[in-house]
Amino acid sequence: MTRSRRTPYFLLGPGLLWLLVFFAIPMAFMAYISLNSGSLSEGFEFNWEWQNFSDALTDYGTQFGRTFIYAGVATVLALLIAYPLAYAIAFKGGRWKTALLFVVVAPFFTTYLIRTLAWQTILADEGPFVAFLQGVGLVGQDSEVLDTPGSVILGLTYNFLPFMILPIYASLEAIDGRLVEAAKDLYASSKTAFLRVTLPLSMPGVIAGTLLTFIPAAGDYINADFLGGAGQQMIGNVIQNLYIEQRLYPAAAALSFVLMAVVLVFVLAYIRFAGSEALMGEEEERA
Amino acid sequence: MAWLRRNGIRIYGALAIAYMLIPIVVIAVFSFNDPTGKFNFTWNGFTLEHWENAFSLPALNEAFVTSLVLAALATVVATIFGTLIALALVRYEFRGRGPANILIVLPLATPEVVVGAALLSMFVYFEVARGFSTLLLAHIMFSISFVVIVVRSRLIGFDRSIEEAARDLGAGSFETFRLVTLPLIMPGVLGGALLAFALSLDDFVISNFNSGREETFPLFIFGASQRGIPVEVNVIATMLFVVTVIAMIFVVRQQRRAEALASASVPAGESAPGPGPGALSAGSA
Amino acid sequence: MNRHLTKLVAALAFATLAMGAAACGSDLGGGGRDEEVTTAEAEGTASGELAISNWPFYIDKDTVPEFEQETGIKVDYTEDVNDNNEFFAKVQPDLQNGESGGASIYVVTDWMAQKMYDLGYLQDFDKEAIPNFEDNLVSNLESPAFDPERNYSAPWQSGMTGLIVNSEVAPDLTSIADIFDPEYEGEIEVLTELRDTVPLVMKSEGVDVENATTEDWLAAIDKLGEAVDSGQIVDFTGNDYTADLARGDVAAVIGWSGDAVQLQADDPNIEFVMPEEGCIQWSDNMVIPVGAPNPTAAYEWIDYVYEPENQAQITDYNYYVSPVDGVKEILEKQGSDAAKSNLVFPDEEYVANCSSQPNPPAEDEEEIEKAFQQVITG
Repeated sequence: MTRSRRTPYFLLGPGLLWLLVFFAIPMAFMAYISLNSGSLSEGFEFNWEWQNFSDALTDYGTQFGRTFIYAGVATVLALLIAYPLAYAIAFKGGRWKTALLFVVVAPFFTTYLIRTLAWQTILADEGPFVAFLQGVGLVGQDSEVLDTPGSVILGLTYNFLPFMILPIYASLEAIDGRLVEAAKDLYASSKTAFLRVTLPLSMPGVIAGTLLTFIPAAGDYINADFLGGAGQQMIGNVIQNLYIEQRLYPAAAALSFVLMAVVLVFVLAYIRFAGSEALMGEEEERA
Repeated sequence: MAWLRRNGIRIYGALAIAYMLIPIVVIAVFSFNDPTGKFNFTWNGFTLEHWENAFSLPALNEAFVTSLVLAALATVVATIFGTLIALALVRYEFRGRGPANILIVLPLATPEVVVGAALLSMFVYFEVARGFSTLLLAHIMFSISFVVIVVRSRLIGFDRSIEEAARDLGAGSFETFRLVTLPLIMPGVLGGALLAFALSLDDFVISNFNSGREETFPLFIFGASQRGIPVEVNVIATMLFVVTVIAMIFVVRQQRRAEALASASVPAGESAPGPGPGALSAGSA
Repeated sequence: MNRHLTKLVAALAFATLAMGAAACGSDLGGGGRDEEVTTAEAEGTASGELAISNWPFYIDKDTVPEFEQETGIKVDYTEDVNDNNEFFAKVQPDLQNGESGGASIYVVTDWMAQKMYDLGYLQDFDKEAIPNFEDNLVSNLESPAFDPERNYSAPWQSGMTGLIVNSEVAPDLTSIADIFDPEYEGEIEVLTELRDTVPLVMKSEGVDVENATTEDWLAAIDKLGEAVDSGQIVDFTGNDYTADLARGDVAAVIGWSGDAVQLQADDPNIEFVMPEEGCIQWSDNMVIPVGAPNPTAAYEWIDYVYEPENQAQITDYNYYVSPVDGVKEILEKQGSDAAKSNLVFPDEEYVANCSSQPNPPAEDEEEIEKAFQQVITG
């Protein structure tokens, strides 16, 4: 394709510059602070204090583990809910596709905090929902639903659903129906057609959705704050705590970088496993 | 049984949608509550009072309007930037692809607390007063990456042959983009825009650090959640939902009307640039 | 992998460059400010705009408009103080640079006022500009340890930290020791406020909190840690314990007096219980930060709310303890319920065992904070 060689730079320019100035540079400040030592009262000093990083891992190992379990489970649940839903809308939605999509996304126009607080009300001990669960035997008579890992995971799943739905929908919707038809013409059953044609073609969306869900979920603290108790605090809570309650800025910065690093490791491993260069934007060759 | 197999997916979809709407229903129901005290947790009695006086709390109104304006502006800018980046990433060869990818993915991998705090440090260092403008800068920043990813996954599965066809018929680069590519990737772009808007309306953590004295809707709510959320908040939340649904119904109707018009005026054998490649099969020779 | 390596190197190079740039300025630099404490001078008649940062729902709907009408000052009243520490984090960068972020008055709790003052972030009052404050401040608040001459803090409202109990579910819960009773396992919440929760636990151990040693603090924190591990204490909260109580999710919490009254309207069984061991008393104070744009108007405000009638209106709404003399009589005349409440006008017997909110020993404060936060973050 003959295109001006400068075009991509013009396209990339504004957005990337923005990210550079308002993300990358502040991050550099944070990196600087993570290597400081001291406290608010004594004053901070740049000291190449690598200990901040090792402290982060030893002090908060439990919370890290907990965070990745919660985020992981929530992501899987979200995938299980979102994929069939996106599929239903993309392929069975017909004329109502866009409308349905918006109905699905609309609840998320009411504030995150309010939605989570609504779950607090719904999952209340005295509420009808828990009574129902107790009646059906899913939950013990005396136990609480709130302030458990379950409630936090439920909140995470719920709140990050659109992040899963939209990319999957976008890529499902882009699938040329003729490919599925062709598969069927070649005697594939519906199920095989799905597994061998639709699913692989929707993978970019699945990957995007999974990452878009897992990553912010890992850094979240609102769900644990409202729906969880003392034993369900996630790394996000710890960072918020270190930064705001204790004002130990170097430790908070170090902990954040450790979180980012671990998340990136997960992401890279996932991409390798899924083998998708698609995430990096290179087009797949079509036979 | 066969009925179940056939409609299974639809039923599942319906259940999923129901699940997503549960909290909204709760919020809406409690907007009609008449609490005795400051706290709106237990059902006390039905009243329309708070609907009638929905905008009687000046602090709430101000916060709400601020959020709307902020979201609208941030969405427009972030969607444009994000779509352009996605196009560049998917369609072009260029040096620095790797670092560009990293720069885009990193904001998503960073906890909002960190991003918020880091931004604040930078603003203070450069003595930028915190307020609406810093909020806007921050909101645009964190939305760009999401838009990129959504549009990118749409672009990747994109069938380029239509564009080539347009070229073969003599359309220039920009014309092709405007008349063929853009409409076809529009679902992706809209998806990205929707996400950006929702993210901005919703944002609490980053806003909390960079808002100065400006209050957004979420900031107001968090403060209120500590001491009793006024029922009017439920009312506005419900209104948001209803308005969104109505607006979307309207948009869909317009779209269908446009589609009907397009297919009516296009002679058989050619396809209208509507969403979904399914339209192609109808017109292909 | 070559490509990845190049990317990594490029990233590191960039980061180092940026850090170099950052090193040129110490923005989050602690250590406070070095300048002398200034007095915010009042100049002429108050006018213009006044921005106030206060806690949510701490004021009735009419006070601000009435003030505006009487003085002609336009008030920008923002309820953006949700938590002392959080608010501090928000304004600290500005204060470090000698600016206030726009507000001329902050309302923060005693210990935070002291902290800000020690860091050089506050200004002294021009006492001549606030005669009502001098005259009407209740005697027991005239000389607190952290500001013996009331040079920089003017109480907004006072309150008590004690137990808030759902008496239907836990009728026998009357002391701090009771919250550790296994009968209430999973039904207890305590505050994230270090200076409220830990002193109360220390009281239940018989410690004199105003003279407590580091060991006392740490021992109490350990006890809390055990209670968390065993599931006795289910959460650490800010004001959000109110939601949990109102919903019936918990039986009792360590909480703040004014909230109890408001909760009673939702569930009459919820009441404030003065613990047998006593309570913790504190105030939220109006302070004037450095760089306050309009201290003259700030003084006008302080003087206005120290007028008993205006104060009565505020107290009748938020049910906290008023720092102003003469409010009780006014409320009695109005026939308000608040006049009779021990929570709003506690008699001496009621608060006999109460202590004012203590600070941990300064040299070990960080260690104590860290230990407490470790317990909170599980």
